[in-house]
Amino acid sequence: MIGQQRPKLTWIDFVVAVSIAAAAGYIVWQAAFVLNYRWNWSAVLGFVARQDPQSGEWKANLLLNGLAATIRIVAYAGVLAAVIGCTMSVCRVSRSLYLRLLSRTYVEFVRNIPPLVFIFITYFFLASGLVSQFESSVAASTGMNNGISDFFLGPTQNRAQLISAIIALAVFQGAYITEIIRAGVQSIVSDQWEAAASLGLSWRRTMYLVVMPQALTKVIPPLAGQAISLVKESSIVSLLSVPELAFLGNEVATSSGRYFEAWLLVSGIYVCLCLTLSRLSVRLERRLVIRQR
Amino acid sequence: MANQQRRKILLGASILTAAVASANGAKAQTTPATAGGLIEEIKKRGVLRIGQATFVPATFRSKSGQIVGHIPDLAQKLADDMGVKLEVTPTPFDGIIPALLSGKIDITIGMTATPTRNLTVNFSNPTVVDGMHVVASKKAAAGFNRMEQFNQPSVTLVVRRATTGSAAAQKYFPKATLRQFDDDAQVMLELTNGRAHGFVTAYPRTVWAAEDNPDTLFVPFEGLFAKQANAIAYRKGDADATNFFNNWVQYHQMSGFLEERYQWWFDGRKNWKDLMQN
Repeated sequence: MIGQQRPKLTWIDFVVAVSIAAAAGYIVWQAAFVLNYRWNWSAVLGFVARQDPQSGEWKANLLLNGLAATIRIVAYAGVLAAVIGCTMSVCRVSRSLYLRLLSRTYVEFVRNIPPLVFIFITYFFLASGLVSQFESSVAASTGMNNGISDFFLGPTQNRAQLISAIIALAVFQGAYITEIIRAGVQSIVSDQWEAAASLGLSWRRTMYLVVMPQALTKVIPPLAGQAISLVKESSIVSLLSVPELAFLGNEVATSSGRYFEAWLLVSGIYVCLCLTLSRLSVRLERRLVIRQR
Repeated sequence: MANQQRRKILLGASILTAAVASANGAKAQTTPATAGGLIEEIKKRGVLRIGQATFVPATFRSKSGQIVGHIPDLAQKLADDMGVKLEVTPTPFDGIIPALLSGKIDITIGMTATPTRNLTVNFSNPTVVDGMHVVASKKAAAGFNRMEQFNQPSVTLVVRRATTGSAAAQKYFPKATLRQFDDDAQVMLELTNGRAHGFVTAYPRTVWAAEDNPDTLFVPFEGLFAKQANAIAYRKGDADATNFFNNWVQYHQMSGFLEERYQWWFDGRKNWKDLMQN
């Protein structure tokens, strides 16, 4: 196997290393001296978590709550997007012209609108109608334990925004997932279809028993990439005043007046979240490859 | 044959769904104006929802993450007077009027009542009157001490986009180059780095900016200009709301509450320094 042997270091590696170090050094020098900025990290670190002066307990503050909200949004939107993507990709390769037209229209419509515009359209047209009804029905059943509903949906405030943000992100990401899975399905060689047909399997059973399992394994890497892009794209819903990480990061920056520190901290949190996801996807991929052998 | 029929049914269903969705949207657009007025709506709901942009000390986050400030104090009093709970939603400044119009929030407090905005939303009598001021960069505007000195072609001024600060800068400093940014962060960066001569914004902000950055910034002159009235903004077409909000403002002007709260939040930062981090 390739990659077992460690590659040798050559002079090119040193040139690259030195230029990267120089670039990093230049940025640090700029930040430290040219920008004339007095760094004060303590002003923003307290917004991650802080110790209650009375009880001495550590409590999550705005940024950790924002991270929780981002994870919540990404989880719901991701699951919903996966459902939409699977359904639509099956439609996309279906034998029915109507289903093919429907899914093609969906994909092209969503992919040709900028995410920002799409989020606003969903918010103004969906949130005012459908979501307000959902909200009142939730409000009617306030028998639900507050702690449980807070855990799953966050604070009661802004639920309409939260729900339309989740729907918008899911519909948006669903279009890309549709195309990824379609590509996976179409990459399965026709021999598989023919072999399944010769065994007497129907189209539907061929799809679910033979083609889909192989296709989904193949598209794990691009799907993981899409999940990471969902995490990053979720910051766009801050425009709907959904109190997620980017929105609260802005609040912290403006409230404390420490803009660099706040945004660097927020970007660090996003990097941690996305790196964790990409490590998980590598593991998942490896496990699937082993199982396939 | 059966396949074709199924197709027709599916097509019909999707058209119907679209029609229902659009009818829903249309209905939601009209509900806020009817339904017995804003005041009744708030009382019935039991919650007063206000939308505020983050701006120290009007509305901001304390070190424990709470929403605090001059406006939440006024809003809490208003909610108490109405016998309802208060819900403050931090909203980006440009998003406040859309949120008001689409009924996501009931009111916003402390928005400058300009004729242009007044064409889209209603304003109560003013809760606070304040004015514009300039904070300058020691590097770019060294030696400036009069307002006229900022009205030169060689001067660059920075402002927050779509604020009254940007309108005032265009009116009072027409010869200067104006650069607009969406938030305070970018404005302060330009200024502290000396890429702009001055920042035109509402009064106390300028003094604190100079206080926070004594090495780079200073207050070039004392007087305020372009005085403006900040008021409660709410949806149009509601006489009861107008009556209620105007009398609320008048009542608390007479009782001294408005003046007392303004002094507490705006007379330096000593009263609320410990709400801030560090």
